[in-house]
Amino acid sequence: MKIVREALAGTLESSDLMVRIAPKDGGLDIVLESEVIHQFGAQIEAVVRETLDRLGIDEGLVVVEDKGALDCVVRARIQTAVSRAVDEWTADWRALA
Amino acid sequence: MFDDLDVEYLDRRFEPGAFGEVESFLATNGLDLEDGVEVFVVLRAGRRIVACAGLEANIVKCVATDPLWRGEAISLRVVSEVVHLAHERGHSHLFLYTRPNNTAFFGGCGFRPIVEVPGLVTLMENTPIGIRRYCDSLRKLRRPGAVIGAVVINANPFTKGHRWLVERAAEACDWLHLFVVAEDASFFPYRDRYALVKAGVEDIERLTLHPGSEYMVSRATFSSYFFKEKNVVGDCFTAVDLLVFRDHIAPALGITHRYVGTEPFCPTTNKYNADMKYWLQADLSAAPPVTVVEIPRTEYGAVPISASEVRRLLAVSDFEHIERLVPPTTLQLLKANYATPKVSAA
Amino acid sequence: MSNRLRRSMLFLPGSNAAMLSTAYVFKPDSIMFDLEDAVSLREKDAARLLVFHALRLPVWEGIETVVRINPLSTPFGMADLEAVVRAGVEVVRLPKTDTADDVRALEAEVERIERDCGREVGSTKLMAAIESAAGVVNALAIATSSKRLIGIALAGFDYVMDMQTERGDGTELFYARCAVLHAARYAKIDAFDVVFGDINDEEGFLKEVDLIKRLGFNGKSLINPRQIELLHNAFAPTEEEVDYARRVVAAAEAGERQGLGVVSLNGKMIDAPVIDHARVVLRRAEASGVRK
Repeated sequence: MKIVREALAGTLESSDLMVRIAPKDGGLDIVLESEVIHQFGAQIEAVVRETLDRLGIDEGLVVVEDKGALDCVVRARIQTAVSRAVDEWTADWRALA
Repeated sequence: MFDDLDVEYLDRRFEPGAFGEVESFLATNGLDLEDGVEVFVVLRAGRRIVACAGLEANIVKCVATDPLWRGEAISLRVVSEVVHLAHERGHSHLFLYTRPNNTAFFGGCGFRPIVEVPGLVTLMENTPIGIRRYCDSLRKLRRPGAVIGAVVINANPFTKGHRWLVERAAEACDWLHLFVVAEDASFFPYRDRYALVKAGVEDIERLTLHPGSEYMVSRATFSSYFFKEKNVVGDCFTAVDLLVFRDHIAPALGITHRYVGTEPFCPTTNKYNADMKYWLQADLSAAPPVTVVEIPRTEYGAVPISASEVRRLLAVSDFEHIERLVPPTTLQLLKANYATPKVSAA
Repeated sequence: MSNRLRRSMLFLPGSNAAMLSTAYVFKPDSIMFDLEDAVSLREKDAARLLVFHALRLPVWEGIETVVRINPLSTPFGMADLEAVVRAGVEVVRLPKTDTADDVRALEAEVERIERDCGREVGSTKLMAAIESAAGVVNALAIATSSKRLIGIALAGFDYVMDMQTERGDGTELFYARCAVLHAARYAKIDAFDVVFGDINDEEGFLKEVDLIKRLGFNGKSLINPRQIELLHNAFAPTEEEVDYARRVVAAAEAGERQGLGVVSLNGKMIDAPVIDHARVVLRRAEASGVRK
């Protein structure tokens, strides 16, 4: 799948995250901001990358503002943002799980 | 946690009276209803307003929470809502003005400071990579030299006067960076203004033409609302715009000099030039000063050439006089796209 | 009647990440993730994905997971169903159930998805929410429409509007409560009462809980975790009730061991419904002690 438009998902509330995705050529550009970046930054980024990878997204700008979200919330928000940023989204629940 | 708040949008177009309630709510929080707000996000507990955030295009305004409900959660909620509403309305890159002592609060809402007018106001944007990435892109266009110049023009439309200014500036420095204001608030759309400048300066050497950006003479950097409210218009109406230039854009490109035309006609622009000397040159920023150089305007028949004069002549289709004020490329476009068909005499 | 206690069913807006991540700590009997009315149109897709992942968290041990999907007649209902059945939800709650056919249509889709994703056919339970005059009139047909149904619920907000009245002291719900309750008891499934809206009116809440408990409801939908303990306590039996229930169950077990067809206590014969009720009392006592 390809990111064709800018999209937004999530909130800035505690235990959530806000994700912005925008089209960008030439690889993934992930920018992560988090109050717990020193402790969990690497783990959050790994979850973001893995979620994008399973959706077949290998290009785009992804800005994540994390507010201490669980991994499963990170997955849900990334998937929502991608679904809003691509043409013709169909949920493949096996890939989303 | 289970606050059970209702989210409501109040749109000025559909509910002209609805802002009255928000205005009273803002007043109890010591805030004014600022000009230009198009839509409010309101959180209600029952019928009572407990938080609000307004939007004027891509600028977030009038963020307030009920003192009894105040707490991070409700602020984060209302700001999240307004960010989504703005996105729906086509604005993903948002700005806001706030007092410098509130920057930590808005930091928690995902906003990052761009510049601070010391002690008065901070301009923030809702992305950690906005101004940073913009400057990264500019840095790639750096040129060597001792005197690196910059000119910012609106070019509404591009005249012989602009051409004169750019030529003189280019002569005076080792390299000139020319910016065209991108904000579409002028008679001529940005696309046309940019194309005319491009055609009009093509033959000038040692010059880079830059598209404008939201960080330069834009609605965001030039928002007057805060200052009007606080009655400090005279002091820093233009300060934010100029400090963004001094703190970010000039260092990225290594700009040492900024060139401007003298301004006998337009008081706003005239004031901008005067302010420029202060905010770019005074010892008030960590960024090095930028020398401001005023270049007297070229004149036609003892009257300085101005874009507003061209627009006046265009309104009466006086192409004979327009031809004397604008380069051939501009004349061509005006004739092709902006000529009002003459009403034939019956 | 199922063995499970379903006194408290806590509503959670499916779009709220913080609540979904932490609500298990409140230990309601059931937790109901809402994809319907509590979620704005803009967030329908986001809530579906959040709930999909929340259901898969390993934290719901001892709490029954329920999801209220959007009606299948909306553009969201089928996608909701696909997501939650695959994520292993225990119970799908169908809103705005007017007829038995609504339940059968849902059941057919659930079965299709179970087969498609390899989930045991029949393992997804259903619950029908009745929210209209039509639903109340058809309550019996609805309650007996599917083996998957574990209960029916009355939802007051839409119902009173359909009846051209508004929420008051409960008189306006009296017939509907009785109709839903009788249908549930006839079908041997659970019955759930409406949400009590004003989270600050503790006294009013307890009064309503007392009423619906005496009518015979199994439990109630809740919108605030603060109401859980109040509700559980109100449903807890008294010390005397527990004592009596213990003796009834002991007698029943003794009768079973001895292979007697008839159970007696203090020389009196005890019927099966009395024994069933005694077991419910003991389960309630086990779950939250005796009434304080």
